[in-house]
Amino acid sequence: MQLNYDYIVVGSGATGAIAAHSLVEEGVIVALLDVGVEDETYKQIIPSKDFISIRKEESDQHRYFLGKNYEGIPWESTKVGSQLTPPRNFLTQLTDKLISFESDSFKPMESMAKGGLGGGWGLGCYVFSNPELQAIGLHEAEMKKAYEAVASHIGVSGTRDDGAPYCLGDLQNIMPVSDLEQNLSGVYSSYNNQKKSLNKKGVFLGRSALALLTEDKDTRSAVQYKDMDFWSDKDQSAYRSWMTIEQLDKKTNFVYHKNCLVLKFREHENGIDVIVKRTDTNEEQIFSCKKLILSPGVLGTARIVIRSFEYKKEQLPVICNPYCYIPCIQWRMLGKEIEQKKTSLGQLVLYLDENKNNYDVGMAALFSYRSLLLFKLIKETPLNFSDARIIMQYLQSSFTIAGIHHPEKGSDTKFIRMKKDAGAYTGDVLTGQYILSDQEISTNSLREKKIKSALRTLGCQPLKTVHTPHGGSIHYAGTLPFNDRGDEYTIYPNGKLAGTKNVFVADGSGFNYLPAKGLTFTLMANAYNVAKNVLKND
Amino acid sequence: MHPRLMEKNNNHIFEAEQIGLYLLSGSIQETEKKIYADAMQKLNISFSEYEQLLWNKMLKNKWNMACIDAALAVQEPSNPVRRKLFTMLAILEASPNYTSYFLSRKFSIFYLFKIGIIGFRAILRALVGIFIVNTIKRKCN
Repeated sequence: MQLNYDYIVVGSGATGAIAAHSLVEEGVIVALLDVGVEDETYKQIIPSKDFISIRKEESDQHRYFLGKNYEGIPWESTKVGSQLTPPRNFLTQLTDKLISFESDSFKPMESMAKGGLGGGWGLGCYVFSNPELQAIGLHEAEMKKAYEAVASHIGVSGTRDDGAPYCLGDLQNIMPVSDLEQNLSGVYSSYNNQKKSLNKKGVFLGRSALALLTEDKDTRSAVQYKDMDFWSDKDQSAYRSWMTIEQLDKKTNFVYHKNCLVLKFREHENGIDVIVKRTDTNEEQIFSCKKLILSPGVLGTARIVIRSFEYKKEQLPVICNPYCYIPCIQWRMLGKEIEQKKTSLGQLVLYLDENKNNYDVGMAALFSYRSLLLFKLIKETPLNFSDARIIMQYLQSSFTIAGIHHPEKGSDTKFIRMKKDAGAYTGDVLTGQYILSDQEISTNSLREKKIKSALRTLGCQPLKTVHTPHGGSIHYAGTLPFNDRGDEYTIYPNGKLAGTKNVFVADGSGFNYLPAKGLTFTLMANAYNVAKNVLKND
Repeated sequence: MHPRLMEKNNNHIFEAEQIGLYLLSGSIQETEKKIYADAMQKLNISFSEYEQLLWNKMLKNKWNMACIDAALAVQEPSNPVRRKLFTMLAILEASPNYTSYFLSRKFSIFYLFKIGIIGFRAILRALVGIFIVNTIKRKCN
């Protein structure tokens, strides 16, 4: 059976959801094709209580904290995504089977879930500066409008402090900032006491802008500080892309097709055929449309485009932010009890902007540690579990974790390559290589040193630096770089895929540069613009 | 239940008792023992001859368990015998009966001395444990 639509969007992640929403709002008929894995196990059994109440009262908490098959008790796992809690494990379900990726030096995380990787988003919203947008290849004025539109749809909370130029920019549509937890309050006041000397070194610290509601919005509630952010979306205060999909599902001009893994497209005179492999029956199905918007994530788009262009080019560039995290001891918090009502989201961000031009800025998001449970920290100590338990219980309130992202550009040693493999579900496998140059390694290492020095000044003593494998930042871009010449395997600035008439790309495939700041908000704003351009192109 | 499965389950219950005694210095409740037995069935942790000897020694009493665990934490942190202890630790943390052992609370400044003593004890345990582990290793060679 062949199904015909005016517009087809591929993928339900952060970009697909926004692109589909923008089109549906304009009244056109839209179909969204998605594999759409959902959490069938945990959603119903997690009570709507705060973390402490659950810990003290719920006798079957092990079912969701440790997982049905105890998959939440990690042992020797180095796979990117193994840090996900059991209720978030569905985000990476089926990826190994359906879209395998092979590489020794690049370990990306992909998702087949309804709502995509957005289901595990840390909620940080960053309006990129003009130099950053120019380096990416995006139009500043158009992006400014798009940021406002997306903020109005998802709900963004924040405040105008020293971090505002790096996250809020000129954004007007913001809710009041969330209540700052005790662990990070000390760091914030320490910064405010020493900011003159820190600013001289290019160090700025501020409250994060988060896609977290602090006021009720439609059917979603304001944050209730239950500290269950890594386990459940019960009150829907944190924005997740599936919420947009469920909202769209109620509209008559939107159709959601589940179990659809898009393999490729074929453009012809009357429109576009989209060839899908159904994941429930393993049979091929063809959908037809006038315009196609690809947004299954950068690697997913690369697979579809390489197949659609008959493997003419098998290797594409890729960019991914290098990432590491630094557990620190914050002395002033030693021996204190952590408050019951809080959030575990990164509420503070430290920026290292030595040139003070809001470009090539290093970024460290600061978190406290509680709701991911103590046993995972105990395992990291070189002590026996019994003694380590006592020591870590004492230290627990004083842990502050800094997650550092570095800005990143492409190079010849960073690429993905598709190879045919008859045994694979799709008949091919994506492979890749990601190697930093000595110069890049030394620049990043110097940046980490400076951030560690700033953390010490703020009363946080770094314990060690843990570098995750490349891919661990879960920010990917640059496979089909923006250019306006129409070269093969590139995207025009309006989002149109070069070499096609009506195929658009709404994810980060075109981005020529990745700032260290979180990418998701800008990806959504770009998807909004691409959807508008698709309509303009009619 | 099949007699072999029953025996295996009883072994797991005994292991749970011993590990609980070591981790929290007290006997643990039936609920957590049953969860541990279920986890062992599902995780199916297997041992080599050397690891089995270590495990048998650890099950004799909580002092052996503490010393061998301390030695392995330094020498072989990923040894499968530690995985059993770690699984029990996670089960105890995810139980409302033992929250006071894991949740943060207010400590007096003098508690730092206790922390120092515990750190020192952990080092002593590791030294004794290294001797035990090496003796067992030699037996296996």
